[in-house]
Amino acid sequence: MDNLTRVTIDFDTSHLIFPTIIAIVLGLLGLAILVRDRAAILGSGRMWATTFRAMDKTRFFGALALTIVYFLLMVPVGNIWPNAGYGFLICSVPYVVALGLLFMHARTPAAIGAMLAVAVIAPPLIWWLFSEIFFLTLP
Amino acid sequence: MDLLAHLIDPWFLGLIFGGTLMGIVFGAIPGMTATMAVAVCLPLTFSLGLVNGLALLLSLYVGGITGGLVPAILLGIPGTPSSITTTFDGFPMAKRGEGERALKIAIIASVVGGLVSLVALYFFAPVLAQFAIKFSYVEKFLIIFFALTVMAALSKDMLLGIFSGVLGIFLSLIGTYDITNGGNGHTRLIPPGMEYWLDGGFALLPVLIGIFGVTVILEEAELGMPRGQSLKDIEVGPHSRFSFSVFRGQWVNLLRSGGIGTFVGILPGVGGSAASILSYTAAKTTSRHPERYGKGEPAGVIASEAGNNGLTGGALVPLLSLGIPGDSTTALLIGAFALQGIQVGPLFISQNIDTWNAMIAAMLISNLVMLVVMFFAIRWFAMVIAVPKQILYPFILMMCVIGAYTINYGIIFDVWTLLIFGVFGWIMAKLRLEVAPFIIGFILGPAAEIYFVKSLESFGDLAIFFTKSWIAVVLWVLIVASVAGSIAISRRNARMGEPSA
Repeated sequence: MDNLTRVTIDFDTSHLIFPTIIAIVLGLLGLAILVRDRAAILGSGRMWATTFRAMDKTRFFGALALTIVYFLLMVPVGNIWPNAGYGFLICSVPYVVALGLLFMHARTPAAIGAMLAVAVIAPPLIWWLFSEIFFLTLP
Repeated sequence: MDLLAHLIDPWFLGLIFGGTLMGIVFGAIPGMTATMAVAVCLPLTFSLGLVNGLALLLSLYVGGITGGLVPAILLGIPGTPSSITTTFDGFPMAKRGEGERALKIAIIASVVGGLVSLVALYFFAPVLAQFAIKFSYVEKFLIIFFALTVMAALSKDMLLGIFSGVLGIFLSLIGTYDITNGGNGHTRLIPPGMEYWLDGGFALLPVLIGIFGVTVILEEAELGMPRGQSLKDIEVGPHSRFSFSVFRGQWVNLLRSGGIGTFVGILPGVGGSAASILSYTAAKTTSRHPERYGKGEPAGVIASEAGNNGLTGGALVPLLSLGIPGDSTTALLIGAFALQGIQVGPLFISQNIDTWNAMIAAMLISNLVMLVVMFFAIRWFAMVIAVPKQILYPFILMMCVIGAYTINYGIIFDVWTLLIFGVFGWIMAKLRLEVAPFIIGFILGPAAEIYFVKSLESFGDLAIFFTKSWIAVVLWVLIVASVAGSIAISRRNARMGEPSA
């Protein structure tokens, strides 16, 4: 009886033991969900179709695209002046403006003015606080 | 430095004051949570040092949990998930023109709940830590296992909850099996081509900030940035005199709700909404007038708010005594400790008595600041609800980037992790997977692995998990009880749901 529960761990492959167990458990749970919710899973195509139809596509994908561009540009721009954090500073201002305009509903001069003020003041303030006062590395 | 020295340090006090204010603002804006406030401010703690950094984060936590009551009462929209039950009676009161009265009742209930849980934290955490020092790998593994079952049991759908938790563990194992913890230094589970980036796995904090910050903004963008509230929506009624007499006969309710909140906080992995729902239910079932609940009964507001603030101290108990976060906000605090190179666990309190005292002081002061500020400035605080989202969200995203980038001294992949998990969190919500179990699994996964493998390496026997000690047996009893209990609850819910469905 005792021998049934005995295990020996080979140190060289010990990094695979736990991931294997977790993968098996995950697979079993996935299978259980597959069996229980098969109707919902088969209908998931419809769920996604409804989601995308109801979605505000301009704002959702616009926000995603702007964020990706923001992340992509930050490092190359920052590398022009190494270790100064200017990449963050220079990219954040247009990012905040663009995202703000995208999210805004009634683009009245007052609303745009308030947003522009925030976009011009906030990133430099944050940049100054983090890179000059706290000495943190920014892109 | 002892407790007194902290109490007169202006920098320490200033951070608590600022943190509490900012927390209230985050909590008061629907869609933004205490967790988000802590996530956004994490990089600040880098340069503030541990004691001051924790003072900031803890006061954000206390303020954030409390701030949720403002829109809950004035608009009927919970500012944070934990203030859902506050809307049940707070909003009807506001509609009757008793907004200010409801707000003040809620504020005082919050402070009492916070103080009850602080007392529990102060006395209970060291005792539990003393006890937990004796734990071996086996008991530590079982505690994590227990945390995961409790958390899955309390999710909306148990099967999906457990799946989310295990998925979190799985993703946390990507990368190197860390040598510093006794691993063999080999890598695993890395998708081909990603070896360079994922050698150390996904960093915890960008994952957290992505799921709690970016996901929310994506969800709002998907809905087309629903128009926020205007100042007219939040006008407080004219004739809502508040007097302390409303608390007459409510002491039992206050203390019970604070106690329930604390207890729910101590259970690892259970969030704030469970605390307020349980204390609200308890108040309603023991009340002589249960029919008044849901129609503007002050006792309902008291129960809900004392309950969710009771969570704050309780959630720190497992964090500081076992190293296991009590909820998603305290999970972020682990990050703050990690940034300073401090391991939280059974030895934390005895080895860092200064930090421990400072944490207690910070939470105490933060509760008092919150009382004074909210009690006298509640009308002005209500205005933050009207800050336009087009200004708020770009700013939050910018702060998330700083948080992710600075956490590991400038790794751009961490910024991408933010986006990856922001989108992942959005997809999870669509698939009805649960974020809280996922996060707890992700945080505890690596520790679970070490404890599990080391247990087998040292004992060479699977039976050790049952036979190691009486503590192991007790933990198994708790695990079985939590699973059985939740199956019973979900069966009952299903049966009750049938006739109407």
